[in-house]
Amino acid sequence: MRFFAALLLVLAACATPEAPPGGPAPPTAEPAPPPVARTENVAVAGLMESARADAAAGKLTTAAASIERALRIEPRNPRLWQELARVRLQQEQFVQAENMARRSNSFAGSDNTLRAENWRLIAQTLEARGDADGARAARESAEKLSSH
Amino acid sequence: MWQRKKILRAAGITFLVLLVGAGAFTLYLDHRVRTEFEGRRFALPARIYARPLELHAGLRLALPDLEDELRELGYKALIEKADPTREAEGGWYVRSGERLDVGLRAFMFWDGAQPARQVRLAFDGGSVGALTDTEGREVALARVEPLPIGGIYPAGNEDRVLVRLAEVPPHLVKALIATEDRTYFTHAGFSLRSMARAALSVGSSRMQGGSTITQQLVKNFFLTPERTLRRKLTELVMAVLLEIHYGKEEILETYLNEIYLGQDRDRAIHGVGLAAQYYFGKEVQHLTVAESALLVALVKGPAVYDPHRHAARALERRNLVLRETREQNALTMEEYAAARAADLGVSRKPGFGTSPYPAFLSLVHRQLRHDYDEADLRSEGLRVFTTLDPRAQGAAERALTKRLAQFDKDKRFGAPGLEGAIVVTDPQSGEIQALVGGRDPRYRGYNRAVDAARPVGSLLKPAIYLTALTDPAHYTLVTPVDDGPFVWKSRGAPDWEPENYDKKFHGMVPLRTALAHSYNAAAARLGTELGVERVLGNVKKLGVERELRPFASALLGAVELSPLEVAQMYQTIASGGFRSPLRAIREVTTQEGKPLQRYALAVEQAFPQEPMYLLAAALQGVVREGTAQGLKAFLPPEIGVAGKTGTTDEQRDAWFAGFTGDRLGVVWVGYDDNRAARLSGSTAALPVWGDMMAALAPEPLALEKPERIETVWIDPQSGLRGVSCPGALELPFVQGSAPRDMAPCASPVDGAVEAVGQTIEKAKSWFERLFKR
Repeated sequence: MRFFAALLLVLAACATPEAPPGGPAPPTAEPAPPPVARTENVAVAGLMESARADAAAGKLTTAAASIERALRIEPRNPRLWQELARVRLQQEQFVQAENMARRSNSFAGSDNTLRAENWRLIAQTLEARGDADGARAARESAEKLSSH
Repeated sequence: MWQRKKILRAAGITFLVLLVGAGAFTLYLDHRVRTEFEGRRFALPARIYARPLELHAGLRLALPDLEDELRELGYKALIEKADPTREAEGGWYVRSGERLDVGLRAFMFWDGAQPARQVRLAFDGGSVGALTDTEGREVALARVEPLPIGGIYPAGNEDRVLVRLAEVPPHLVKALIATEDRTYFTHAGFSLRSMARAALSVGSSRMQGGSTITQQLVKNFFLTPERTLRRKLTELVMAVLLEIHYGKEEILETYLNEIYLGQDRDRAIHGVGLAAQYYFGKEVQHLTVAESALLVALVKGPAVYDPHRHAARALERRNLVLRETREQNALTMEEYAAARAADLGVSRKPGFGTSPYPAFLSLVHRQLRHDYDEADLRSEGLRVFTTLDPRAQGAAERALTKRLAQFDKDKRFGAPGLEGAIVVTDPQSGEIQALVGGRDPRYRGYNRAVDAARPVGSLLKPAIYLTALTDPAHYTLVTPVDDGPFVWKSRGAPDWEPENYDKKFHGMVPLRTALAHSYNAAAARLGTELGVERVLGNVKKLGVERELRPFASALLGAVELSPLEVAQMYQTIASGGFRSPLRAIREVTTQEGKPLQRYALAVEQAFPQEPMYLLAAALQGVVREGTAQGLKAFLPPEIGVAGKTGTTDEQRDAWFAGFTGDRLGVVWVGYDDNRAARLSGSTAALPVWGDMMAALAPEPLALEKPERIETVWIDPQSGLRGVSCPGALELPFVQGSAPRDMAPCASPVDGAVEAVGQTIEKAKSWFERLFKR
């Protein structure tokens, strides 16, 4: 069985897609830039774009509303929940920000990058509320996922 | 001599006193006219809207359903686009095969105005395949204006839509002047000639009353409808004063907005703006000559000349108005002839009074009262955007009405008949999509969905099993639980000996089976072992805020909840333990569209995901193999519905609560007077739920598997591991909690098969991770 698993491993390694042609692989920067919501749906992509623009312009209520509209179209898209967590954090609604990030985690499956980012968001909300131990534990969860 | 002098003096004094009195009275009236007319703003109802339909490629919506919604909004089905000016305003659609061109109207949404625009939809089976503009360029998203679903009205349920005089077509004004007050633009507020004529022609068929438009406005505005000479005089003086202070245009505009023009059940139709919408489904500026004449005809008596009820009388009066207008040379011969030949043209759509969805509206009103003054709600013209989904609401109403009629016929229990209530929500966001408060959905009274608290029976059992499953070291889906006879003794209360629905006891059964078949003895024993207070604590965490008293009988649903509270409880289950308060309102704006408030999506993780996942999987078992198997007749098994039936003592209450991938529904059926309905959750509530959901083509329920959940093949007989055992089931467990031992029927290679399976699983998720990055 172990052999079988090892074989799969090798196969997977061979299949690792698109290292940029020529030039070295870009160094993994930390912290990661917030990922753009990945979706097939142009409606969701459009709403996220305007949410981004609104959030950047400080129009946080409108940004949150756009993300909620997107969530009505794709309620299980973990990136949308994460985006909402980020807006709530900006609005200093720390409890909601934490819960949104947890909701995002519940839909994240095995997307460890996304989950690590959620744990970092959770850590920030806990720090903001003075829960240093909780924040440390959350950061550790993030680290563990990042190094995976 | 001195006597005459005395009399003269007395008369003089009397005259002076009268003069001063009249002067003072006039001054008083002048003050009233100025302050009240100036300060007077029309009280405008808060307008309530359904959710807007958001069109985009990939939307699961069938073409006929979109057509229905557009028709509801008053959109006209055209054979082909004809009139370019009307076309630009929207409000129409053209269907050709699986393609639909829609002219969307402009609308002021809470986040800004959206201009009218044309879009083209290509349908692909039950969903939108592509959304483009008419040139074929991709459109990401297009919002359809939301359906108005009622209002919160001022005293007397007066409804109106304010218009400016400039928006009113000249032919309407001319018809009004010709019919009601020919010398309007020249008189000083009253007309001696028409007063004299009115006095002389009492009883004749001449149509002019003695009152000018100004007098009519004064009467409606300031005075009570009594008919005394004093009041008539007051009216006259005030009319003159009004004319002194205000211009003809201003008075006319106010009159056009004030005038009472019809009655839609409990809603009073005021003003030409609303009347145009109510009778003809159009904006006032688009009224034809004939339509305008009908509105003017209604001024004399909206009930007597009601075009819906007394079409012939209305037509006769309208033509009289046209003739009077023609006599004043305000119409050309051609216009007159064309208008006379036109039919009444009133829309067939029946009015719904203050709202077609009174149960939902009452919930919205209640939620609004938390944040707004009642007086403001009834006068400020607020715009309220809600979560109501007209399609879900329609499906719920039809399912309940149809089934209850059928049950009544089968049962012959006589009047009053069975009642019912339904709540439909979005399981992820907690938005309330439909609310039915009784078998007559138009009845504005007892709202059972919100106000009826009824025993919930077995609907509470999931809370017992959830409590157990939060302790995976001791409870899994296959842990044997005891469904033997059970007696609960507590001091000061009679012994409690719950029986099973089939009057049998089933001995040791796996936990998931006890839930699937809703065994009472097993649930009562398990619940008391876990602790009644602990279980009820979890009911509270699931979102039930009502104080529940910790009696053991509560475990089997002696607690009374409203369908809305049950929906809240099941929402938390459906969303994997993330509780979202059920909401009916999204946004509120001022009349001009300035945002006042947004009711944001809020979630709180009330439970860890793992036990919620196990519970939801067990609730799918209820439908697959338990008390809700009857759903198979309504929905294909791939939908994977999770749900629970509930039936109370002597079958007084029948419940079904369940969810799919995109909707959660709670159905209650029973009698208001608590008679035994002799209908169980699975025979009465389930068919209503099934009819409703089948009409809505729900999305399959794919539970989000938490990381710490693994699946293991289990032999149903022994509850132990065994891939190769007959009828082996793949069941979820919290990692490490699955049974270790192999079932007697398991073949020696089972262990190896499992290991391969697990390795492949691991490799698969590893692969996925790799490629997702």
